[in-house]
Amino acid sequence: MLLRSPAGPGSGNGPALPELRRRLKWVALVGVAALVLLVGRLWQLQVMGGEGYYERTVSQVVKERYLPSVRGKILDRKGVALADNRPAFNIYATPKQWKAETRGEISRLLGLSDDELVKIDERITLGKKRDPKRPILVLEDQGRDRAALVSQALTRLPGVEVQHEPYRYYPQGDLAAHLIGYMTQMTSAEADRLANQGYDTSELVGRYGLESAWENYLRGKKGIERFAVDARGQRLDEKTAAALIDGERVMGAVPGANLILTVDAELQRIAEKAVAHVPAAAVVIVEPKTGKIRALVSKPSFDPNVMTGHLTRAEETLLLSDPRKPFIDKALRASYPPGSVFKFVTALAALEDGQGAEDESIFCTGVYELSGTNFRCNASHGKLDLLGAIKKSCNVYFWTLATQRLGLDRIAEMARLFGFGTPTNLGLNGDAGGRIPTKAWYEERSRYKIGYATNAATGQGDVEVTVLQTAMAYAALANGGTLFVPQVVERVDASNGRTIVTYEPKIAREIKVQTEALDVWRRGMWKVTNEVGGSAYDHGHVSIVPVSGKTGTAEIRTRARKKEEIERDIDNWNPARSHAWFAGWAPADDPEIVITVFVEHGGSGGKVAWPIAKRILEAYYTKIDPRPGATDDAGGKSVPKLKAKPAPRPPAPKPETP
Amino acid sequence: MRDTGLALPRATVGVSRWRRFRAAVDWPLIVTVVLIGAIGLLNLYSATRGTRHHEKFDTQVQWMIVGGIAFIIATVVDYRALVRLAGVGLCVAIGLLIVVRLLGDGAHGKGSYRWLNIGGMGIQPSELAKLMVILALAKIFQDADPSRYTPFRLGLHLLTLCIPIVLIGRQPDLGTATLLTLIVLTVGFLAMPSVWPMVHVTLAGLLAIPILWETMHDYQKNRVLAFIDPSSDPTGNGWHTRQSIFAVGSGKIFGKGFGEGTQNQFDFLPEHWTDFPYSVWAEEWGFIGSVFLLAIFSFLVVWILNVAMSARDRAGAVICIGVAAMTFWHVVVNIAMVLGLAPVVGVTLPFISYGGSSLVVFFACMGLVANVSLRKHGY
Repeated sequence: MLLRSPAGPGSGNGPALPELRRRLKWVALVGVAALVLLVGRLWQLQVMGGEGYYERTVSQVVKERYLPSVRGKILDRKGVALADNRPAFNIYATPKQWKAETRGEISRLLGLSDDELVKIDERITLGKKRDPKRPILVLEDQGRDRAALVSQALTRLPGVEVQHEPYRYYPQGDLAAHLIGYMTQMTSAEADRLANQGYDTSELVGRYGLESAWENYLRGKKGIERFAVDARGQRLDEKTAAALIDGERVMGAVPGANLILTVDAELQRIAEKAVAHVPAAAVVIVEPKTGKIRALVSKPSFDPNVMTGHLTRAEETLLLSDPRKPFIDKALRASYPPGSVFKFVTALAALEDGQGAEDESIFCTGVYELSGTNFRCNASHGKLDLLGAIKKSCNVYFWTLATQRLGLDRIAEMARLFGFGTPTNLGLNGDAGGRIPTKAWYEERSRYKIGYATNAATGQGDVEVTVLQTAMAYAALANGGTLFVPQVVERVDASNGRTIVTYEPKIAREIKVQTEALDVWRRGMWKVTNEVGGSAYDHGHVSIVPVSGKTGTAEIRTRARKKEEIERDIDNWNPARSHAWFAGWAPADDPEIVITVFVEHGGSGGKVAWPIAKRILEAYYTKIDPRPGATDDAGGKSVPKLKAKPAPRPPAPKPETP
Repeated sequence: MRDTGLALPRATVGVSRWRRFRAAVDWPLIVTVVLIGAIGLLNLYSATRGTRHHEKFDTQVQWMIVGGIAFIIATVVDYRALVRLAGVGLCVAIGLLIVVRLLGDGAHGKGSYRWLNIGGMGIQPSELAKLMVILALAKIFQDADPSRYTPFRLGLHLLTLCIPIVLIGRQPDLGTATLLTLIVLTVGFLAMPSVWPMVHVTLAGLLAIPILWETMHDYQKNRVLAFIDPSSDPTGNGWHTRQSIFAVGSGKIFGKGFGEGTQNQFDFLPEHWTDFPYSVWAEEWGFIGSVFLLAIFSFLVVWILNVAMSARDRAGAVICIGVAAMTFWHVVVNIAMVLGLAPVVGVTLPFISYGGSSLVVFFACMGLVANVSLRKHGY
């Protein structure tokens, strides 16, 4: 008993302080109560809640971070990088530790613009909703100076980190922008969907073009790093981290695969230069023997380097308000009336069915009267045979074939055989199908009129095709009737250079058309570009290499231009003007490349689209596939005949057989 | 009887003076204090290990030596002489509190006037005030005659004691002021011939709390509010409490082991060596260690009360009650704060918290208890 009775000699007369003895039970009561309270609380915290608190202290110290995988490159057929990675500084912040002071401090430190602050706020809000403890990317691709400023001020910026990471970079600038695409941060909905696929909320994902369509090959696999931090979020040394973390601390990232395209960057550049002077255009160049795309141009374009994390609100507004719609891939997403380039459908249908012949002549007065309506031709051509009608692009000839012999549905049938009306299955940028109207289609809407067949015969009215479809159809014309599925990716290589998969040309169908019929059309095309009076020849002639082609001028159903459209008129871009088309190939006798040029609201096909094609072909046959011996001999030669087996030439790809 | 009491031990035949002194020294008290001091150093070593604060351990060892000297002085000098000088001592303490108000290093204590810088050392006059108040209480209550406790005299004395309390409260150091109040009240309840005046004073004090609330600084109010709802401001005032609870809880039954506390080692509890050493201890030694430390403190308090019971005069007994009350309230308030049962106030854990003034004063107080214990043997 500790509180024994006093034994000292000084207490001979009882306790010195008798009050204490009397009140001892109160002292004991208070003491025991305090002890019970404290021990009880210790029991509650350590014995009952211990496991939970333990987990929480560990989670305070051990953090996880994704290790970025290096994204695969996109290379052209010769290995020129179209999309690459470069080192960059990214600034991350942990939403949980983000406060108004942090925001103010970083804003003051870096002199952030309102735009950047809005972006940061949005991301922090999104991050808070998801996992407030996981650092999110707030400022991507910052310069060395900004990274250094933030690194030096980390103690004043709790939860902020600077990471040195690879960043997407497009070394060729806006070259083939629609094809390559760009990357942006994922949206809230995407983040929810992709989170369980190992994506980090703040990651950039492919948003357009190949970057989006081939995301799964390009991105590789992220690694995970687990590390320990102290209360201020500062990383602890490796030894401490090893002691705190059980299991693997680093699960390495797997780099993405490289895409090797069929596209030729040099030809792409030539094509883009050739359309530089027009406000809106599309160019598709394909190999007729394989269906491989050599160039794919859509104008107006955008700079993917800007789109990938550097687009300001003002720039975005400007791009979105552009009436030419820069974000729509004009080569394959949008469809347009094809005009006269579509006439081959009518001609082939007539020749196939024996409803027309090469030497049959029709008289063009310049006007074609049909049930009280006058359809006007581009001139009064007088007496023309089929080749002459092709050469001069006479409408009356084809209207006669269509309305008196073929009918709308036969034209539609032939058009569908050549791939119009259905997407080409390139698998990129929402490849559109276009529209090939039939009688049934019109009946469904209102009433079929014979005038619709007139329109369809010359690629007007409700007929709409994409530039890519036209290119693939002309490739089929060039190669004797094989319709290919267009191909843009040649093969996929792993980061170590090992080829993962090589894509073979894919045939959509063998079109059953008589070789003779094709030959007639091809001879007509030859005249267009090589004979005086041809709709293209009058606007220039390629002398290096024989070229065959067909021009088209697709009239627009005129409507009053809206006031704001006139105000926003860009580069003389007039939405009431016709679309200019040219489709053709070179060399005429042994086609190697098929070229389709489309100038949106460009005017006359012969005057606008053909010179562009001419410039591209001339550059191709002087720079890429030089022909020193090529002379202006087209006129001297006989009309080219299709060769069953073209002679193999070194730069030309081998003819692929299914 | 007192004379004989003094004479008896001296007459013991065949025992040298030294052996008699050794026998009279209160060894259980000394052993307990040394044990707690050792635990304190061990804990401080872990708390400051590997940080830029590691020199705090050396400083604390030096203060322990100073404390040891203070203990010996407080033991050797007769406490009755000290009690006679209590009035002077209290005046000195009040003087220092006024000096610290006028000259104190305001920046040192985060905008408050707690520290006095003498020769490079920061000392806290409020700690000295505790010692002096205890001696003053001994002087007040040394008279056994109930007739001496007239309401007027009592009121006068209490008013005198209110001076240092108010001065400390105005520093502002709410923790120490509250603690001094608790010491005075405890001693009053245990030493007054009749408890009723104390009951009245206490009730009056409780009624005065709303008035005190109005005079409190905003940060003090925030602390109290944060205590009531820690989640309201997790990185502000509630942060300490939350992190302290995490630390204690995560120790589980057997603790994480010496030097292994992540809460402690990685700075989740800022300044944990001053006000939160118990959370460091609880994290690393678990429920077993936490209860063990509580048990030692309980023994210490009980032992001091035991000395009070056997003291040879009222003054000695009151000193012991004062020291016991001071130790008890320090331990209870500090640990309750660590466990999230009390607001975060600057109340140290005796012998464990880092800080020279508190340490030396506690050593001196224990010296006084040893002194009382020694004198009953006739010294």
